[in-house]
Amino acid sequence: MIPLPNECLIKILSNFKSNYRCLFSCLLVNRNWCRIIVPFLWSEPTEYFNDKRLIRTYLLLLNVEEQTLLIPFEIIIPNYPKPLFEYTRYATSVGIYLHDGVKNWLKEEGYGEERRNLIFNNDDYDDYDDHWPVNTVKCSLIALFLRTSKNLKILRFEGIIYDKKIFQYLYENTTITYLDFYTDNFDSRALEILLEVLCRNTTLISLNLSYNELNTKGWKAIAKALCKNEEKQ
Amino acid sequence: MDNGTSNSASENETITLKSCDGIEFHIDARIANRYTLLNNWNGGESACIPNVNGKVLEKVLEWCEHHINDPQLNCGDDDSRRRNTIIEEWDENFLSCDQDMLFEIILAANYLEIKPLLDLGCKTVANMMKSKSPEEIRSAFNIDNDYTPEEEEQFRKENEWAEDY
Repeated sequence: MIPLPNECLIKILSNFKSNYRCLFSCLLVNRNWCRIIVPFLWSEPTEYFNDKRLIRTYLLLLNVEEQTLLIPFEIIIPNYPKPLFEYTRYATSVGIYLHDGVKNWLKEEGYGEERRNLIFNNDDYDDYDDHWPVNTVKCSLIALFLRTSKNLKILRFEGIIYDKKIFQYLYENTTITYLDFYTDNFDSRALEILLEVLCRNTTLISLNLSYNELNTKGWKAIAKALCKNEEKQ
Repeated sequence: MDNGTSNSASENETITLKSCDGIEFHIDARIANRYTLLNNWNGGESACIPNVNGKVLEKVLEWCEHHINDPQLNCGDDDSRRRNTIIEEWDENFLSCDQDMLFEIILAANYLEIKPLLDLGCKTVANMMKSKSPEEIRSAFNIDNDYTPEEEEQFRKENEWAEDY
């Protein structure tokens, strides 16, 4: 076969941009194709975040600091080799399905048998029983995305996330343009953090707080921070 | 004749192009006006297009001639054209050639910056890969597998979520 240069191969393979099954087959053809496809495949898998296999691969990329957050909840990180690519590097968006994915993964793989039985095979189990572990895994993953992604544009938080490292990354981030806080529990601490992000971040162009029940004082403070932010931009 | 920027070539006007193996083609000047790089090679007796042989250039020019009256698209349209997976019947027949020729056409279209033909060629190859396993793709396009078995297995595991979507 006449060899095609990578610029043509990229054009051919970009026809499969949303056909993940085809991308998966092409990825396994050889190393060169893999290098081309991984950025496509991992740029927008947000829709499939509820798949525990995707979460499992992401968790293998946590650094020691991010893994440490999980220790108090006796969460077991998968015991697989370190991934061949830093897949989170290519993510352009992190959405709300992350919550479902983490929940699914925790339920099926995240705990040792004893702990799993204690939490899930309990007649009194309700969703709130694993609320904190789910939130903690989400925090670790969001910190991972913020630390490694070079193209993250959209970040949606479900639930309030208080994690210093995440906020540090958010303050410094220069790629996120859309921030969404999808929660009805927006307290004064969360507001304080958001105001700080708005004051420091210079790339944000869209902010969604539609499910938040802020009072007038809160909205005024946000409006003021937005004005300051615009002056900076 | 003004070869560089004129868009006003008439139907009877022709220009001469020469392939890298010395074959001359007298083509409608309006074709060269559409594709800047073709126009650039209309340089008189000694000018020839490097890297494109007569057989391939003939095919490329046949395609250009058939599409001479197509509306010219801007950048945004270009993107939507690439996403559109339907290939017209004439184009499908045109590209029903052997695989080497198909790849040569892609290379020439890329080299000559004939974007609609490049997109069409790439789309045709992509359609040939659809629903094929990695092994089938390798065998259809004669590609060597340079993964170690362990590496291939690890990639399969790390990316297996994608197989279901």
